[in-house]
Amino acid sequence: MLRRMLTVVVVGLIFVPVARGQQGPDFRAAGAEAVARLQELIRIDTANPPGNETDGAEFLQKVLEQDGIASEILEKEPRRGNLIARLKGNGSKKPILLMGHMDTVGVERDKWTVDPFAAEIKDGYLYGRGAIDDKIDVIAMLQVFLMVKRQGLTLDRDIIYLAEAGEEGGPPVGIDFLVEEHWEKIESEFALNEGGEIMLRDGKVNYVGVQTAEKVPNGLKLIARGTSGHGSAPRIDNPVVHLAAAVAKVGAYQPPMKLNETTRTFFERLATISSEEDAFLFRNLEDPVLGPLIEEKFRQARSGAYISYNSLLRNSISPNMIEGGFRVNVIPAEAEVTLDVRMLPGEDVEQLKAELRRVIDDEAVEVASYDWVQFPAAPATSLDTELFRALENAQAAVFPGTITLPTMTTGATDSAKVRAQGVQAYGVGTVRTDEDEARFHGNDERVWVEGVEKYLEFVYRAVVEVAAAQ
Amino acid sequence: MSIYRIILLVSFSILTINATWAQSEPDFAEAGQAAARRLRELIRIDTSNPPGNETKVAEYLKTILDAEGIEAEVLELEPGRGNLVARIRGNGKKKPVLLMGHTDVVGVDRDAWTVAPFEGLIRDGYLYGRGAADDKGGVATFLEVFLLIHRQIARQGAELDRDVIFLAEAGEEGTTQVGIDFLVEKHWDRIESEFALNEGGNTRVEDGKVKFVGVQTSEKVIRRLKLVARGSSGHGSIPRPDNAIARLSAAVAKLAAFQPPMRLNETTRMFFRTLAATSAAEDAFLFQHLADPEIGSLVEKTFRESERGDFLLYNSMLRSSIAPTIVEGGFRNNVIPPVAEATLDVRLLPGEDLDEFIAEVRRVIGDEAVEVEPLPAYRPAGLPSPLDSEMYRALDRAREAVFPDAITLPFMSTGGTDSAQLRSKGVKTYGVDPPASDEDAKGVHGNDERIWLDGLGPHVELVYRAVMEVARAR
Repeated sequence: MLRRMLTVVVVGLIFVPVARGQQGPDFRAAGAEAVARLQELIRIDTANPPGNETDGAEFLQKVLEQDGIASEILEKEPRRGNLIARLKGNGSKKPILLMGHMDTVGVERDKWTVDPFAAEIKDGYLYGRGAIDDKIDVIAMLQVFLMVKRQGLTLDRDIIYLAEAGEEGGPPVGIDFLVEEHWEKIESEFALNEGGEIMLRDGKVNYVGVQTAEKVPNGLKLIARGTSGHGSAPRIDNPVVHLAAAVAKVGAYQPPMKLNETTRTFFERLATISSEEDAFLFRNLEDPVLGPLIEEKFRQARSGAYISYNSLLRNSISPNMIEGGFRVNVIPAEAEVTLDVRMLPGEDVEQLKAELRRVIDDEAVEVASYDWVQFPAAPATSLDTELFRALENAQAAVFPGTITLPTMTTGATDSAKVRAQGVQAYGVGTVRTDEDEARFHGNDERVWVEGVEKYLEFVYRAVVEVAAAQ
Repeated sequence: MSIYRIILLVSFSILTINATWAQSEPDFAEAGQAAARRLRELIRIDTSNPPGNETKVAEYLKTILDAEGIEAEVLELEPGRGNLVARIRGNGKKKPVLLMGHTDVVGVDRDAWTVAPFEGLIRDGYLYGRGAADDKGGVATFLEVFLLIHRQIARQGAELDRDVIFLAEAGEEGTTQVGIDFLVEKHWDRIESEFALNEGGNTRVEDGKVKFVGVQTSEKVIRRLKLVARGSSGHGSIPRPDNAIARLSAAVAKLAAFQPPMRLNETTRMFFRTLAATSAAEDAFLFQHLADPEIGSLVEKTFRESERGDFLLYNSMLRSSIAPTIVEGGFRNNVIPPVAEATLDVRLLPGEDLDEFIAEVRRVIGDEAVEVEPLPAYRPAGLPSPLDSEMYRALDRAREAVFPDAITLPFMSTGGTDSAQLRSKGVKTYGVDPPASDEDAKGVHGNDERIWLDGLGPHVELVYRAVMEVARAR
């Protein structure tokens, strides 16, 4: 009953902006509409595996139909649907792609204090799996798409809406499938995707983070080989020992710092909103004397932001799985460790391998590739583009008094796949606190309801600036 | 077939002659054949441990002893895990001597065997089967010695100054709680003795001849340690300075570079001295210069870094040894695990203090985030049995009589046997085994395990002579 009342109210609000003609959209109403839809989408369980994203795609297809927009669902595997829709422009510029992923990671139900698929709103938060990763973006991009359509704007470029499957691992049923088999359906100059954030600290927006680059995940494996033998008679070619020595060296090895356009701008701008002490660190990273000390301070940090800055500065290496031996009295013939390697954009992993061989300096230890992830070596997106400037303008309009912070993430998103095709992709995200951020892939995932409206306005303004006919 | 019959007839006639000749010695060739026949029966009783089922063997042995008029009892802690004990009474002037062997065997990787492991096939002078050498060969030969002594007494009215106890024990291969531990704790009165002979020796055959009779007088103390490194967990995209795997690796690398100091004891000193006397000049030089103030450390290094199996063994005999054998940590490549572990196979020299050793390991690692914990000890720490004992001298003299061209070589084994439990109770225990070549030794816990048939008679004779020397009434 209450639900029906809400629906009536929402429907009523939707028609207000349209009736007002050329006036801007009613973002408050759009926010309410988006939140209601986000609730519906969360209630469609698309935990991957198995995914079943087609359930979400069919829901979105109906929503688009209500606004008279045609869409198609593309499946590489049954029930793993991706939905694509397009608003046609006059073709004077190449399209802009608005994308999000419908699948979510699974849940550990007993650790949630709310039903992860009930989409309950409590104390200003909407709770549920996918609330922030990434159903909010699926819905926000959809809402912006609908707003542009309802505004009846003439467009210089097509706007493509994509709700994709299979982002959270598993077989390549999402972006890889689309890039390989349906590229013409999503080919574009610009893209907006997950990966950024509007960071709320002490009740105020601290910065608007726009992801312009991401590190490239790579895997390496160190394999030590020796002669098997009895544990009662130690051998100097014990592979466990050779591996340990190699990992100890790799653990102590720090690849050199390399700043790029994104990270240089990131630290410059971060300095303007940081404490004096932090600002000093950020401004002196490249100082010949202080730089190495600051690097070490970041590296040795046990928690917080510093430790992630350390990873932003360089190709990073983390030994995360080690295995060797099977019986306590048998020296095994082989032992190995896998390294989680995150390359800076534009760096060559073969060079890093050669460097590691030099550092390890042991012929008994092989440095090999370990294909645990398949990510293209995507370049960083430029800060000198129409869309980045539009995002900065939108930030200035919606969140005056703060800054746009270009970011490089240490983790990977599907933006890498489109960047590798030459698309200038930017990661954006709704308003959140550090606490909300910590619930990514965790328990009691949530999104701040009040922030949705502002997020919509921010994205809408940027999209209209680059797409509306001049 | 005819040849076999002829041998039997010849043997029989010799036995007959001996029996009529009052002070004669037993026919050891015949004894060797009898041991071989019984060993074959023992192999055919599958006592793979787990599950063991040693009672089946104990009952078989009991039948044999009963037939000879020797009382035997089967003691079980768990159903089916029987230990057999029998005793020939002496006049009690001296404490008993114990002959022991274990009746369980390790399992087989059937596909890797070229012969049936539980049939007792005889081919080219070898008897094949699981347990042929470890340790049913020991059980069969000690049983034979035990029977010979019993018959000798019955026949000649001879007297013994001490009881001779025969023990066929269960559970040596990993479940000593049903075997030696059970007997030591609950039935010590049945096996308490001054001396014991057990497996663990090394009578080495080269080119069909016994080169040395290795008598195990001591063994290293097996103590497993676990290293547990802890750090903070996190996402692999952001390396952490306290990564548990990196910490563990640094600890293992430091330990590998650490050499516990060389310490010679009575056994190893005699071992290297004896070995030097019979080795090629180059090797002898090394054995003689182990404790040399100028080049001793280079000799140690030569052993440590050698590709030769014997040198690696010598390296382990010189010191408490550490071999990291297992490392494990992590579950997903993008997650930094909070913990990583390594297991160390540690073999302490007898007399070494475990707590002090652990303190030293901690000092070498020098990282409080890496815990060093002992894993449960499997066997007690026994002290070396002396070379200056009646039994050792008797073994040496028996070797002189049976293998005059060979030497007696006392040694400390790097592995463990049930002798440890006896030594920790003060029993002077010596390991002596039937003759075997290097090639034969590979079958122990391996495939196509076998025993050299021609070696059984001499081995029975050697043990018989030694036991009679220490037990015969004087």
